[in-house]
Amino acid sequence: MRNKIVKELETTFSNQGDFFIEEELVDKTTIFLMGFKTLVDLPKSKLYIQQIEDSSRSAKALFMNLSNRINVNTEQLIEGILEGNLVIVSLDGKQNAVVNPFIQNLRSSVSEPKNESPIQSSTDAFGDDINTNVGMIRKRLTTTSLCHCSYQVGELEKRKLSMLYIEGRTPNALIEKVEQQLKGIKNDIETIDELNLQFGKRRFSPVSHLFATELPISAIHALKRNKIVLFLDNCPFALVFPNLLWDMLFSINDRNFPFILSFMLRFFRVIGLVATLILPALYVALVSVNPEVFKLDLALFVAKSREGIPLTAFLETIAMVVLVDLILEAIVRLPKSVGPAITMVGGIILGQAMVEAKLVSNLLVIVITAVVIASSSVIGMQNSLYIRLLKYPILILASLFGILGVCTGFIFTIIYLASLTSDDIPYMTFRIKKEGEIK
Amino acid sequence: MKNNRLFQFIVVFLTVILLCGCWDIKDINKRTIPLVLGISKTNGGEYKVTLQIPVLKNESQVSKVVTGTGETITSALGKIRTNSENAIDYTQIRLIVVQNHLAHNQKEFTNIVKFLMGSEEIPSRSLMAITDENVEGVLSSINDKLGVHASSIYDFFNKGADWAPEIFSTPVWEVYRSLFSSTKDIAVPLIRSGRNTVLIFEGSDILKKGEIMDRLKPEEIQLIRVLQNKNEKGKIESLGFASIMVSNSSIRLKPSLNNDKPSLSSNLNIKINVLERNDGVTNKKIMEELERIIEERFFHILKRMQESHTDIFGFGQEFQQLISYNELKNWRDEYFPDLKVNFEVEVNME
Repeated sequence: MRNKIVKELETTFSNQGDFFIEEELVDKTTIFLMGFKTLVDLPKSKLYIQQIEDSSRSAKALFMNLSNRINVNTEQLIEGILEGNLVIVSLDGKQNAVVNPFIQNLRSSVSEPKNESPIQSSTDAFGDDINTNVGMIRKRLTTTSLCHCSYQVGELEKRKLSMLYIEGRTPNALIEKVEQQLKGIKNDIETIDELNLQFGKRRFSPVSHLFATELPISAIHALKRNKIVLFLDNCPFALVFPNLLWDMLFSINDRNFPFILSFMLRFFRVIGLVATLILPALYVALVSVNPEVFKLDLALFVAKSREGIPLTAFLETIAMVVLVDLILEAIVRLPKSVGPAITMVGGIILGQAMVEAKLVSNLLVIVITAVVIASSSVIGMQNSLYIRLLKYPILILASLFGILGVCTGFIFTIIYLASLTSDDIPYMTFRIKKEGEIK
Repeated sequence: MKNNRLFQFIVVFLTVILLCGCWDIKDINKRTIPLVLGISKTNGGEYKVTLQIPVLKNESQVSKVVTGTGETITSALGKIRTNSENAIDYTQIRLIVVQNHLAHNQKEFTNIVKFLMGSEEIPSRSLMAITDENVEGVLSSINDKLGVHASSIYDFFNKGADWAPEIFSTPVWEVYRSLFSSTKDIAVPLIRSGRNTVLIFEGSDILKKGEIMDRLKPEEIQLIRVLQNKNEKGKIESLGFASIMVSNSSIRLKPSLNNDKPSLSSNLNIKINVLERNDGVTNKKIMEELERIIEERFFHILKRMQESHTDIFGFGQEFQQLISYNELKNWRDEYFPDLKVNFEVEVNME
C-alpha cells in the first residue's frame, strides 16, 4: 500500500542497511516515517510526533506543526534524509514534511585543545561540529559586524564551509577574492591542504596559506587583525587566512603576561627559529670547512671531542638529524602507551650508545638536542615541521661552502619566504591593513 | 616549460656539486693544528722551522715539536706538511718565536715579517716574540712542566693588562706596520723557557724598521705602555719603604713647535693604593718618591732612545699636525734627538 514517493525513496536507499520506513497511525490515517537509524533517535522522535498529534486537529495541521519544510519535492526529501532529518509522508503521498528529529549524539562536547597547550587562558577548543565552532566565535565576539557566509562545496559530498570576517575591518578586495576562490571549488575538500591549494599554487611549498588553530581566542584575534577565518565541517580547527610569518612567533596568549615577559617569550621563539635553521649547518661549517673561525681553546676542545670518529661531520650530522626527525614522527604515530618507551630507547641510543661507540661526537649530540628543543618552540605544529624541513638545504650548503654557505643558505631561505604571497598579501607582512586604511 | 625548469635545476645542482671543491675539506680532527711557529737558521744557512703541535690523544704529553729545514720558510713549512700524518692547518698559529741571531739581522727579520704578513694561512693577528735560547728548546719546554695545556704558551701572552701589565703582546701586523712608520717604533717581547713555568718574560727588544736598537727591562717597558696611553692598572711597584699598586693612570700630551725645535709637555696622572709600608712613612713621602722614580726612569729611557734615534714612545704621532708629511719622514733623525719633554707626574692616593 505504499505510494509512489515512498517507493522511490525506498529504491534510492535500498543499499543502506540503516534506512528505515515505519508506519504510524495518526488520526485514522497512516503516515510513513523515514530516515537513518544511525542519525535519528527513533523512539524519542516518535514520542515527539505523538505529542504534537495530540494538540493538532487534523493530519494536515500535524504536518504544519511539525516543520516548515512541508510538501517539498522528492530530491529535497532525499537531501533531508541524508542530512540526518526525519521525513514524514502521508498515505496518499500528497503531503510530506522534513522534520528536525531527536538526533543520535555523535559529537563530543567542547573539550580541551589537543595540539596546543595555552597557559593562563581559556582551555576551550574547537570541536567537529561547524555550528558549534561558529557559535563559539559568536559567543565571544558579540557584534553585528561579524559576518558569516556559508558554502557547500564538493562533488561527491557537499561539505559545509563557513567564512567569517568582520565587516569594515577585513579589506573588501580580499573578501571578494576569497569568496570567488571558495565558490570556484570543484573537487572534494577532504583535507586542509586540499582547501589550501584552492588559494593559489603552492604545491611544492612547505608554507600553507592557512594557519590552523584550535583556540577560539586566537581565531578571534585573527578576525580582529583583519584576517578571514574559515571553518570546515568535521574539522576541529579554525583556518586563518592568510597565514603570516609572525603567526609562528606571536600568540595572543603571550599578552596575558606583562609586556616584558611576552617580549621575552617571543624573543626566545625567534632564537628557536634561527637556531633550528642554522645550528646544525653551523656545526658542519665550523668543524669541517672553517675551523679557523674557532677560538683556540674551542678548536682544541672540538678536535678532541671528535677524535677517532670515522664519519665526516656532514654524514654524522645528517644521520643524527634524520634519526631525530624519525623519532619525532614515531612518537606521534605510536599509541600513547608505547610512545614514552620509544622516547626513552631513542634517548638512550642517541645520548649514550652512539657517543660511547664513538660514532658521533658528544658535541653534536648537544647541538642536535638543542635543535629539537628549539624547533618545538614556535607556535603551530605545521610551522615547526616546515622549519625542520628548511634546515636541510642550509645544512647541505654549509657542508660545501662553510660559513659562506650558512650565510647564503639563510639569506636565500629568507628571500624565498619573502617571495610568498597569498592573494597579494606577502607572507612577511606584519599586519593586514584595515578596509579603507591608506597608510 | 616544466622540462626547462627541471633542466635548469639539474645544471645548477651539478655545478654546485662539481665545482665546489668540497672533496678537499678536512674535518677538524683530521687536521693537525700547530699553535706556535719557531723560526731560526741552521749553521748551513738554511731556515729551520719548528712547530709546536698539541697532542690530543695522549694524556701524559701535551704537545710535540716538529722541525723542518729548507732554503726558504715556505719550503721548510712545505716539507713539514709533506711529512706530516695529517693535513696541517696553519690558521690557528698564535705565536711566532724568532731566534735572536735571525732577529738581529735587519734584512732577514724584515723578510720574515713580510713573509708572515703576506702568507694567507698564517693569521696576521698572531703574536711575535724573540728568544735568545734555542727555539726548539723553548717550544719543547712545555712538555716537562706540570699542569699546563697545549695552549699555555699562547695564554702566557694573553693574561690581560690587569693581571700582568708588563707583558707586551705585539701582533705581526703591528711589526709589519712599524717597518713603514717614520714616527713610531715597536717593542717585541723577549722570552726564554722557565724552570717551573713555561716561559719567562725578560723584557723587550726595540725595533726600528726591523732593526733591533735596544733592549728594555720589564719595568721600563711598563712605562712605555703608559706613555702610549695604555693603562697601567695592576702594576705593583716597590719603593723600598713601601709597596704600592697602581689602580688607574691617564696621560695627556701637548706638542708644540718653536723654531723647528719640538717640545712636548706631558702630564701623567697615577692613582695608587698603598699595599704595605714601614712605620712612620707618610703618604706624602710615598707620593714624592714614586714621582721621583718614574721621572728618573723616563728621562733615563728618553736619553737612551734619543741617542739611538728610536722613538719607542710614538711621540712623533703627536706632531703629525705640526710637521708636514715629508718632513715627518725625518722625524727620528732630525727632530726627535732635539725633543724636549716636560714630563710631570702627579700621584694621587685612592
